[in-house]
Parts: sequence; C-alpha cells; structure tokens
Amino acid sequence: MSAAIAGSGVVAFTPQAGVAPHVVELRHVSRWYGNVVAVNDVSFTLTPGITGLLGPNGAGKTTILHMMAGLLRPSAGDVSVEGVPPAGNPDIYGSIALVPEGEAVQPFLTGWEFALMSAKLQRLPDPEAAARRAIALVDMGAAEGRLVSTYSKGMRQRIKIAGALVHEPAVLLLDEPFNGMDPRQRLHMIDMLRSLAKSGCVVVISSHILEELNDLASNVLVMVAGRLAASGDFREIRRLMTDRPHTFTLMSSNDRALAAALLADTSVFGVELAEPGVVVRTKDRGAMTRNLARLARDAGVRLLEVKPTDQSLESVFSYLVQR
Amino acid sequence: MIGPLNRTVMWLTWRQLFARKRIYIAAAFALVPVMFTVFFKFTTDDQSGSRLAFFNGLSRELIIGTLVPLAAALFGTTAFGGEVDDSTLVYLLIKPIARWRIVLSKYIVAVMSTVAVMIPALLLPWFVLGGPELSAKVLIGYLVGGTAGAAIYCALFLSLGLASRRALVIALIYVIGFEAVLSRNLVGVKSLSVREFAVAFSRAASSGTIEITSYVVPMTTVWTMSVILLIGALALSLRRLSRFEMAERV
Repeated sequence: MSAAIAGSGVVAFTPQAGVAPHVVELRHVSRWYGNVVAVNDVSFTLTPGITGLLGPNGAGKTTILHMMAGLLRPSAGDVSVEGVPPAGNPDIYGSIALVPEGEAVQPFLTGWEFALMSAKLQRLPDPEAAARRAIALVDMGAAEGRLVSTYSKGMRQRIKIAGALVHEPAVLLLDEPFNGMDPRQRLHMIDMLRSLAKSGCVVVISSHILEELNDLASNVLVMVAGRLAASGDFREIRRLMTDRPHTFTLMSSNDRALAAALLADTSVFGVELAEPGVVVRTKDRGAMTRNLARLARDAGVRLLEVKPTDQSLESVFSYLVQR
Repeated sequence: MIGPLNRTVMWLTWRQLFARKRIYIAAAFALVPVMFTVFFKFTTDDQSGSRLAFFNGLSRELIIGTLVPLAAALFGTTAFGGEVDDSTLVYLLIKPIARWRIVLSKYIVAVMSTVAVMIPALLLPWFVLGGPELSAKVLIGYLVGGTAGAAIYCALFLSLGLASRRALVIALIYVIGFEAVLSRNLVGVKSLSVREFAVAFSRAASSGTIEITSYVVPMTTVWTMSVILLIGALALSLRRLSRFEMAERV
C-alpha cells in the first residue's frame, strides 16, 4: 500500500484488496457555500476498514462526512454509498450511521431512552435487545438510567455512538469522536472500532489530531483547505510529516559560536543569526536534537532555550500541500 | 408505525413539547378560562340572562381567539423548532423513515397537544356555568371549531418552526397583530383569518345554535381557505425537511 500526496484522480483504499466492494465513493466532489469553497474536487473510494479523515479545523472534514451521510448535497460531483446517492434517500440509513460532532443529544432523555429510540426509529425487530447490546458495546450500562443532561462530554460521545451502532451499520461515520473522552474510554473505543472494522464495517473517523489516529487508522485522507492533500497508508503519511524540515529557535550564551558549530553538523542544513538567538533548520529532527547538547558543550556554549518554531498542525498540513 | 404515523417520532415530539416548563405553561393556558368563569359566577347576581353571552364571549374571544392560537404557536413551532435549535434534528434525519411520516407524526402531536389544552378550557367553564341555555350543541360547536382552528394553526406554525429560528416570536406577532387586532377590526381580512374560520366552523357544527351577530365568513370560503392553508403548510414543511441541510459551516 502506498501513500499519495495531493494526488489527482480517484484514490482507492483496499485493506482487504480485491475482496470487498467499494462501499463509499466520492467522484470529483465539491461543495461550496455562497462563494466559500468548503470541499474542492475530492475523489476517493472506501472499502471495509478504518479510514482517518485528518485535517486542521475548517479543512472540510465535516462537510465531507455530512455529504457521505446524505445530510448535504454536493455542489458538483457524485457521492454514492452502496451504489446510491445518500441525499434524499432515507432508506440508506438502514446501513449508514453518523455520530455528529458536538454534544447535542436530547437532554430530556435518559441514555437508555436515547439508544432505544434510535433502535425503534431503525424499525428493528427487537429494539430492546439492540439498545442493550449497543449500550454494552460503549460501556454505558452503569449510567444508562441517568438523564443525558447529567452526562459528561465523554459519556455523551459514547451514548451518541451507542445510538449509531444499534442497527449494526455497514458504514459508520464519526466526526471527532474522541473529543472529551478520557484515555481509558479512548482505548475502549479504539478496541471497539477495530473489531467493527474487522467484521466488515467501513469506519471513517475525522480528527484534527494526528496522534489520535495513531495505531487506529491504517489509511488516512488528509484534507487541507477543502482539498485532498494526501492519502494512503498512515505510516507513510506520518513519515512524510515527521521527515519534513523542522525549524528551531535556540537561545545561548554565545549565538555566533553556536551557529558555527551547528553548521558543521550534517543534520543541519541552514543556520541564521536572529536578534537574539539562532534559527536552525534540519531535515533530521531526531539527529539534530541528539547532537545539539554535545555540539554546544564542545563549543563551550551554554544553551538557554530550545524552541521548535513550526509545530502547529497547520504548518504540518501546509507542508504536505506544498509537496 | 400507526398507519401513516411513526409512534417513536410521536413519542419523541411529545417529550420535546412537554420538556422543561412547558407543561406548566400549558396547564396555565387551560385554567385561565375557568378562573374567569369562577369570577363571573361569584360576581354576577342574575346569571340566567348573561350566562350564554358570557360563554360565547369566553369561547370565541379568549379560547378560540387567543388560547388556541397561542398554544398552537407554542407547540407547532417547538415540534421542529426545538430540534433545530438544539441540533438534535439530525438524529431523526439519519433514520430510515420517510420524511412525510416525520412531518405528519409531529403535526398530529402538535394538534393533539393544542386540543388537549383546549378541551378542559372549554369543558370546565361549561360545567361550572351550567343552565339550560348552554346546550351540548353549543359545547360541541366550539370544540369542533377550536379543533379546526388548532389543525390549521399547527400546520402553519409547524412549517414556520422549520423555516426560522425565531419562529415563536414570528408566530406570536402573527397571533397578536393579525388575528387579534387586524382581523377583528377589518371585515375585509376576515376571510383570511383562521380565527374567523374556527368561529364559522363552530356555528356550523352547532347546527346554528351558536348565534353570531357580526359578519361570518361563508362556509365555502372557510372550507376552501382551510384546505389550502392546511395542505399548503404541510407540503411546505415536507419540502423544507426533504431539503434540510446541516448547518452551513466549513
């Protein structure tokens, strides 16, 4: 499996290559609101497995999820789920489920009532059993009798997921599902999503945090400013992200001497004297940070501060776009 | 499913309508006419001559003219508006239920809730006043007229709840501005007033027992306008719900 950066055309993920059909397909999909373009000519297909939809806030992730869920129509292009366009086709919700972002759940219902209502609205033959199973899956049995208005953020996320799982959907779309979950709840959720994916479910998880998808999504779609900036294997994308040039700002007792010592190091490809401090650019962040202390000591310079200057996610994503 | 209705959508709407303090507002609505009646009963010496006139005035002005449209405004706009406001409509929209079933189920619950407020408001004063001139026909006439009014108002306010986030305010301005002031004072706009339709239905259902001295809209106009408003508003709700898109944000 390979990763593609800012590729054009249709990108296909086939975790179970050649076996599973394409369940979700987007072909040259764009969506704009007035003169703001939220999603710009995005194409991909998804088959069973977990796919991460990664990108900074405002990149168009939610718009993509809502189009896949049939809650938004594309302004151009086609979206299809199991071969049919989801917008204006309520029957498709027998196989799709969406866990929307935000904490909104009817506050006057208990967790049990919310899950049971979801099962009944799905017209399942045994809604009580389905609700019970879904609540057990998200580990909310102990709090199911409490009003949703008394739930913590993480509990609301989990009861929303229970409501989405009652009918064992073929496509599960989760918009920033880990918001508000503590580490234990997160691990539990990851296990559950993995086993869902293993059983043949297409799971799409949106996130603006790269680390959140670590060890979870084998495939990622990276969205930046409405475009598909990168797509493919998670490790490949991660390597591209971590191997990008890094910039550090250093403060020391003797900036000029430190700059001279740094230039001699092979991991460094650029040094600039700032007022005050030294700005250093490296392609091998690991080697540079390992060598830095030794270089400073050998040059007789005391390091006062080492500060990475481009750690924001936006800078990581914009690097990917430039590539 | 109950015929064309969805039982779970109805249950959810019911919970939505009576969540928080709305149940107390509804109870207060229902009890105001009884309070007026008790006041009348204890302050008027010779009731035989004025009982019917009092009940007519109470039913037409306070109940059909004010209470029914206010209750319909509250329930009709909340049936969808509540879910639009707190962003929970998405949970209904992502279920395999035909949109028209959702509209119809919510509409029926809004009408039933409005009628549930109206029934004690009419029935209790009728019992308290008593007397031979207050025949069952009079009561039935107002019950039918009020129900017809509730049916039209709820259809209008239901579509308003999907169209605007300020639906309740707009509904109140309409009820107070148009129904209570304009249509009462201008004969020309009576054939556009739901209140006047409800009064005309009341008279027709009482087989003419309810006497109305002022202008009454002809029944052909009443039927035509009622059907147009009711079907038109429900069709508009269905159209809006079918085209409903998630909040436009990037």
